Amino acid sequence: MARHQFGDKDVSASCRAPNDIPRARPEIRSPPMPSSVPLITRQFSALGRYSVLMLGAVSTLTEWGTYRRNIGTQMMRVGVDSLPIVCMATAFSGAVTTVQTAYQLVSPFIPDSIIGAIVTSSMVLELGAVVTGFILAGRVGARIAAEIGTMRVTEQIDALESMGLNSVGYLIVPRVLAGIVMFPVLYVIGTFVGISGGLLVGSLGGFVPAGDFLDGAREYFQPFDPVFGVIKAFVFGFAITSVSCYMGYYADGGAEGVGRATTQAAVLSCVYLLLADLVLAATLL
Amino acid sequence: MKYSNELKVGISIILAGVIFVLGIRFFEDLPLFRTTYDLETELDDAAGLIPGNVVRVNGVTVGSVDEVFINPENNRVRVRFHVDRDVPVREGTETAVSGLDALGVVRMDLLLGPPGGEPVPSGGFLPNRSEPDLLTSLANRAPVLLDQVDRVMEDLGGVLTSSRTQLEDPASDVRMLLLSVRSTVGALDETLRAERRRVSSILTNVDSLTGALSNAVGGGDSLAAAVQDLRGLVRRMDATLAGLDRTLGGVDTLLGKINRGEGTVGLLVNDPSLYRRTDSVLVSIEALLADFRANPGRYLKEMRIVDLF
Amino acid sequence: MIRVEQLDKSFEGRPVLRGVSLDIPEGRTTAIIGRSGSGKSVLMKHLIGLLRPDRGRVLVDGVDINAISYGELRRVRRNFGVLFQGGALFDSMDSFENVAFPLRTFTTMSETQIRDEVLQCLALVELPDAGPKMPADLSGGMRKRVALARAIALKPRYVIYDEPTSGLDPETSNTIDVLIKDLTRRLNVTSIVVTHDMHSVLDIADRAAFVYEGRMHWVGTIDDLHASTDPVLTAFVKANEYQIGNPAAREARSKEQLP
Repeated sequence: MARHQFGDKDVSASCRAPNDIPRARPEIRSPPMPSSVPLITRQFSALGRYSVLMLGAVSTLTEWGTYRRNIGTQMMRVGVDSLPIVCMATAFSGAVTTVQTAYQLVSPFIPDSIIGAIVTSSMVLELGAVVTGFILAGRVGARIAAEIGTMRVTEQIDALESMGLNSVGYLIVPRVLAGIVMFPVLYVIGTFVGISGGLLVGSLGGFVPAGDFLDGAREYFQPFDPVFGVIKAFVFGFAITSVSCYMGYYADGGAEGVGRATTQAAVLSCVYLLLADLVLAATLL
Repeated sequence: MKYSNELKVGISIILAGVIFVLGIRFFEDLPLFRTTYDLETELDDAAGLIPGNVVRVNGVTVGSVDEVFINPENNRVRVRFHVDRDVPVREGTETAVSGLDALGVVRMDLLLGPPGGEPVPSGGFLPNRSEPDLLTSLANRAPVLLDQVDRVMEDLGGVLTSSRTQLEDPASDVRMLLLSVRSTVGALDETLRAERRRVSSILTNVDSLTGALSNAVGGGDSLAAAVQDLRGLVRRMDATLAGLDRTLGGVDTLLGKINRGEGTVGLLVNDPSLYRRTDSVLVSIEALLADFRANPGRYLKEMRIVDLF
Repeated sequence: MIRVEQLDKSFEGRPVLRGVSLDIPEGRTTAIIGRSGSGKSVLMKHLIGLLRPDRGRVLVDGVDINAISYGELRRVRRNFGVLFQGGALFDSMDSFENVAFPLRTFTTMSETQIRDEVLQCLALVELPDAGPKMPADLSGGMRKRVALARAIALKPRYVIYDEPTSGLDPETSNTIDVLIKDLTRRLNVTSIVVTHDMHSVLDIADRAAFVYEGRMHWVGTIDDLHASTDPVLTAFVKANEYQIGNPAAREARSKEQLP
């Protein structure tokens, strides 16, 4: 805080950005967008900035040395550290789906094995990826936005750049890569745990015997479903990490700006996750 | 620290990969570690078969369906599926789709070829044995069945008609037969009557002969014995004649009975209501057939019994 | 040699730099001075291509840094060490790793070489024991010194100091000033000090460039600065000189700026 009050006024002004989009290199600062500009224009301009940022990230993919050291750490933070909470959430959603399906199926004409089919396909198709996605939007998205946002407002990104380092390659690429690699991993493990949770609660709670559960799951199993789930997880991983990186990278206005970026990262991650979910379901299923 | 991080990341990636592969294999009814091979078949009607449906051999699940699509070359349904490597799919193996789509339990059965045949290679093609379900087969066969019933009825009508014609026609074979039987019997009777007189006269001649002999011999014992024997012979001949006479009487009785309308042939010949009854049966069968043509559904359930034959 | 030619820059339609031109000779210490909001930090950011000018050129060793590719620009930037206002230490790393970071990133040094180099740099900024400390555990002055160690780790030809003494108490400010002077001499670098602290300027700079309302108002040596009769410059220098001769007032000013 102190250093911002000490800082010259022109420093905070420069924390916004050049109003031209550099042709030869990724944008360092966000272009100015006064609130007098219509919302729709600001949205399109944000989309444009986001695309330029991501293109910059893609163009630095070849600079392996830039993000090599970070990718392990990021995979750890995005993936392994999120495993316990993801497993807990999917286990519970699997268990709850089992109990609620059993509760809703009162007809004696419907075999109990249907419960297994419903729980398995819901987990594989939707819940596994979406529950994991929501947790990571909150956990990973907010963290990324806060980290990068803080680096932005404390000039750490400028410091990186001034050293001659590609800050996009150094900060964004490893996080997005970690997201798109680890998210499917989390999805697979989470879905496995979720189905196991449903199976366990179903058999221990007397809703459906384990054998029936698995029979139903196998009977209605579509080989494309888990592939679709992994595709979804891949897209969600990209959406969450890239949106959060974007929010953090263009954070502005000190601690408050970082807070705003963090909240928006979590919220927008969820929104884009749901949009991507719908688009994928409409196009691939 | 860094090493352990990377180790954890690596372990979780590998764990996820293993779960993904084994999970899919498990839910696809693939053996978790053994390999499978692909086969194809072609059907007229997939009957709701979708990828993921199980493939069974004699009720044992051995694989599942991978892909169902319309073959653009012949508009038939092409089905790609896989079975366990150790299932003996040999030449002559056929496929059949069964189950009810409405209940979502469609499956594909493999009807294995005879043991000892050439094994079908991976990617091989198996013919489909059309085994439509019960209702379909009934519906398919209904016109044939109707034709058959129709034909039987026509035949029956023809038989009955010709029977009646035969019986009514004075020149018909049955009638001639019966008449010839009667005339034969009459002729036989005639002959026997004529012969009796001759036998009687023979016997009288013999009697006079023996009397003359007796007188001539003067009561010799041997002659008397000979005559005695001769008398026995004649008596036995007489008995024979009597049997013939009884037989003739039986024939006579038979004919009489036929004439009176007793026995099957008599019934046929003499019963005037029989034709009428047959006729009414035919009429009612005709009504039945008409009704069947109008409402086949009412009879389909019963037709199933017909199909079982 | 850095040459700035007719630089124009505006934010949201508000002009910040208006036709600024400046030559920064090698081997000397040039101070860019001016009041808060005069545009001197924006000028500084143009020197290393963090901002692109609306008009005008920035030539580093004769190369227009806005006409070259991003990759080439990054190579040019490696000639610079920048000490940012708050230090801008990476707070996920301890001080040792912060100083080691550019070495690890841009050199192929072995781990022992890096270790020697880092300890040497930390010794230069008189913090030989700060290595294992995290940035959050350091005071403002120490943070700046570690950041300075990081800035000089790659032995740059130009070192830019952005408000090196702001937010520091006078004694720490003096220590930093002495350090800058010392390093400039020892490492034989071209220093560019962006500040509004005249005490620093008079202490360490050879030349001064006074930015006023987005224009380059006055450029000259420190001796010329004293002799100048320009009213705006004189007012700016006087306001500071009063404090130079009066440590208590300077102290008060520092306190006042703390939150």
